[in-house]
Amino acid sequence: MSTDFDAIVIGAGHNGLVAAGELARAGKRVCVVERADVPGGMARNVTSGDGVTAPQIAHLLYNLAPDISRTLGVETRSLPTIGLSPDGRHVLLQAGDLRFADGEAHPEAAVFAVLHDRLTRFAALLGQLSDAPPPKLMEGLAGALSGLRDIGGLAKLGLNLKRMGKAEMREFLRILLSNSYDVLLDELNDGPVAGVLAADAVRGAWSGPRSPGSVFSLIYRLGQGGDVRLPMGGMGAVMAALEKSAVDSGAALRYGSGVASVDIEGDRVTGVTLEDGSKVRGRAVLSSLGAAQTMLLAGPSHYDIETVRRLRNVRSKGTVGKLNLVLKAVPDIPGLTDAQRGARLVVAPSASYVEAAFNPVKYGELSAEPVLEVIIPTLTDPSLCDDGRHVMSVNCQFLPHVPKDGWTEAARGTAQNRIMATLGHYMPGLADHVLQAELLTPADIETLTGAPGGHWHHAELSIDQLLTVRPVNGLSRYAFGVQGYYLCGASAHPGGDVTGQPGRNAARQLLRDGVLS
Amino acid sequence: MATTSYDAIIVGAGHNGLTTGCYLARAGLRTLIVEKNDWIGGAAVSRSLQDGWTYSNCSYVCSLLRREIVRDLELPRFGLQVIPYEGGATFTKDGDYFAYLSDHNALRREIARHSPRDVDAYDRFAQTVMRQCRFIRPFLLRNAPDPTSLHPRDLGELAFLVKKAHGLGAKELGETIRFWTMSIGDFLDEHFESDLIKAHLAGSGIIGTGLGVYSPGTAYVLLHHYMGDVDGTIGAWGFARGGMGAISNALGMSFEEAGGEIRKGAGIERFKVTAGKVTGVALENGDEFDAPIVASNMDIKRTFLHHVDRAEVPDDFHRAVERFKIRGSSAKINIALDAMPDIPAAPADASFLRGDMHCSTSLAELERGYDDWKAGRWSAEPYFDLLIPSQIDPTMAPPGKHMMTVFVQYAPYDLEVDGVRSGENWTDTHREALAHCVYDKMEQMMPDIRQRIVHAEVRTPLDIEREVGLTEGNIFQGELTFDQLLFNRPVPGYSDYTTPVSGLFMVGSSSHPGGGVMAAPGANAAREILRRNGKSKAMQGYAA
Repeated sequence: MSTDFDAIVIGAGHNGLVAAGELARAGKRVCVVERADVPGGMARNVTSGDGVTAPQIAHLLYNLAPDISRTLGVETRSLPTIGLSPDGRHVLLQAGDLRFADGEAHPEAAVFAVLHDRLTRFAALLGQLSDAPPPKLMEGLAGALSGLRDIGGLAKLGLNLKRMGKAEMREFLRILLSNSYDVLLDELNDGPVAGVLAADAVRGAWSGPRSPGSVFSLIYRLGQGGDVRLPMGGMGAVMAALEKSAVDSGAALRYGSGVASVDIEGDRVTGVTLEDGSKVRGRAVLSSLGAAQTMLLAGPSHYDIETVRRLRNVRSKGTVGKLNLVLKAVPDIPGLTDAQRGARLVVAPSASYVEAAFNPVKYGELSAEPVLEVIIPTLTDPSLCDDGRHVMSVNCQFLPHVPKDGWTEAARGTAQNRIMATLGHYMPGLADHVLQAELLTPADIETLTGAPGGHWHHAELSIDQLLTVRPVNGLSRYAFGVQGYYLCGASAHPGGDVTGQPGRNAARQLLRDGVLS
Repeated sequence: MATTSYDAIIVGAGHNGLTTGCYLARAGLRTLIVEKNDWIGGAAVSRSLQDGWTYSNCSYVCSLLRREIVRDLELPRFGLQVIPYEGGATFTKDGDYFAYLSDHNALRREIARHSPRDVDAYDRFAQTVMRQCRFIRPFLLRNAPDPTSLHPRDLGELAFLVKKAHGLGAKELGETIRFWTMSIGDFLDEHFESDLIKAHLAGSGIIGTGLGVYSPGTAYVLLHHYMGDVDGTIGAWGFARGGMGAISNALGMSFEEAGGEIRKGAGIERFKVTAGKVTGVALENGDEFDAPIVASNMDIKRTFLHHVDRAEVPDDFHRAVERFKIRGSSAKINIALDAMPDIPAAPADASFLRGDMHCSTSLAELERGYDDWKAGRWSAEPYFDLLIPSQIDPTMAPPGKHMMTVFVQYAPYDLEVDGVRSGENWTDTHREALAHCVYDKMEQMMPDIRQRIVHAEVRTPLDIEREVGLTEGNIFQGELTFDQLLFNRPVPGYSDYTTPVSGLFMVGSSSHPGGGVMAAPGANAAREILRRNGKSKAMQGYAA
């Protein structure tokens, strides 16, 4: 069977679907091919046989681009964040507001408000860079040399930096490449407030708060103001809406068979060959897979040896595990009201705790006391399960992608026990409420979704893998070495989280490049 | 009664203070240097604590010292002689070693012995590092550009940076950004497969810093250790004949010959400031000296948190100084040996025994050492940079006997004891325990090391702070992280050696381009001081 399309998108994750929708809306004939039978990649729902729906891996929207979000028609609810404290004095964070969970004023509220405000402003500034391909440094430099005004994104950033005033500009340039541990503890005590921010700075990352660059990742999280949103119907509802949006604009879907290779004639893509042997022909191919996989589908012979080496060396060691629990009832959480249990609950009692949790993963070991991000979505969204049972969805850091001796049953058991024990400090009796438990290790996530290393962002969001050098030097502007071949996944600029931006930017770049005209 | 009024006073006779002093004196300024110790040199000293032996007590090898400055100040004429040493080695637990040989072909054979694949990887590694060295070297003797300033001078420096960066080309510029922001561990992992080779090369990325091999930014720290030269051989290191004090002594003589005056045993009490302007210094011994120009060779924390009245600087500056990170992470052991230790793994008289020797055999081991430090402990398996300079420089020990210098990474300043972290926790018992921890590790290559020791000076970060005055004993007067380099060093807006106190300048390693016995901050500050006092033309020489 041979089908002709303008563009073929590999992978029906959120970036693939956004790219497909963008191209379809531009009048292009698009086909999305997906290995699994359902869309969503990391943002799928799972529905168990007895009627409980739960987000399988990703469970919150941290950063979805507002213009993408607006068009989807999926209701989302903003969740406050509660940092759990071992002494029961939990802290409640909502935008720049900080208080104790029991309503009492927090002594660090004023300092926190200033810090939050500053980081959010810096985030908005950097956010300008995420709507477009990364700035071309050489053009920027050439422009600066010749005194040209029009030097694109960098100039705009520079101008907006200047507008902040000298003091703020200096602060921006100082902390941007700094580590979140120092920046937070310069202002805050090393308690749950700093802990929550430190945990957010390294969420999904192979890095601790003391690693330089972790301020950048914290700011990245605040790109859309730092609001954490729970989609009604689960992340699967967002994916269904993205899929529908693409299909309504004319995109075709072909699920159930992965891509075996990208077909190339001369130096131009001509389509893809699926694992079932069939071919789909298209003038352009956009891959939402990892950067190295994308290169391998085309074949290393199409890249120079330096590029191949770089792509193989893209760092993508996943560190987040996922524990999905079905509960017969929601346990009490001493120190919180019943309603507050529906918040995003973060177990990170201090920045030092987060750093200590990161240490073992460097050696392929588990955190003794993991950093956890817990939501009970069924408290906010009864549509997931309406028979009194509840879903508890737990992101767990840090789990190694593969421990030294592999993910044996014993290793999985240890991981699960440590997570349950840590949760148990704050939710006594939790274990008695558990009906089902499923642990997904980073290796499981890789198997399920194909994401390299099971890494949330496909490629570590560290400074040396950002902007002009994301995923690797020379391939940062979505075009991926072969005429008509594009990278549209999270390893492209601006990076991971369910943002849709790499997908949208890649599609727009493809249209601009004139490959399809 | 001595004169109490000078054109310029410098507080601290470290190598940077002396360098600033030399340039100012040569420009015709009547310059006084006051030093709290009874000797000069700060952390570049040679002292004898055991009859017959001379220790380079703190800094111990030389490479970064800018040759422009050596020439300008005629240091060879004042006795400075730097003898390059060749290579080095890392010894394994099972009796093998990796020798980092200076002969390229011999090195390729040695690498092949451990990993044939790493032979070419090394060439790629070396080329990248050398390209980055070439890129950075022209910036060392210039002010760092302040991107927030519209001052023509800053714009000029910025244009210089932009021009150099543009000259790299798009690809190389991307590589440069990447190199400057990545960790030495990641950088080595993507080149090499041999753990031993990686561990050997990684040491330069962590020496003196509160960072681990997998902390982003450590590739730059490696560069900081590679960008020097000995007699024009970039990346080479050498011994100053007579120990590192030879550098300070040569600078001191050069300074005095130019008419400068040094007062030892003259610790500062406070910088005298009137109406936002510095007027001189008041010493601990009660003496007071006046000058319209005063320069501090102390680090920025010691200068402003201990010796300048809090009311004299704006709050945000004070705050920035408080949060400037100067973390103690290194200890030093200087050892008098009764004979050359036995090194069974190495061929007798191997050239690399005259170089830097180590026993850390993997990046994971180094990183674990960092994790220990973060928790307030010294590394259970410490990394050390060990040399026996008396093999090359006979002035360091009696005939047949030897002097060994051991730089230890990591040792915390604020040692944790019973849940409390404080520099005050260091006792002789801890000092002893730290030394034995290092000797245990050294036995990996020198089984008889304990029998060879005649005397050992163990210097914890606290000891270094107390004697030299470096906050927390940090050898760089401030962490070499992105947020504390270039225009951010030491405080954003004050990277041009000035301070909010008019007439008071910072000339030590807290300022751009940072630590190491480089003397560039001292020379750059001298240039700035003269320029700001209408004497730009008076700055003579290559560093002008």
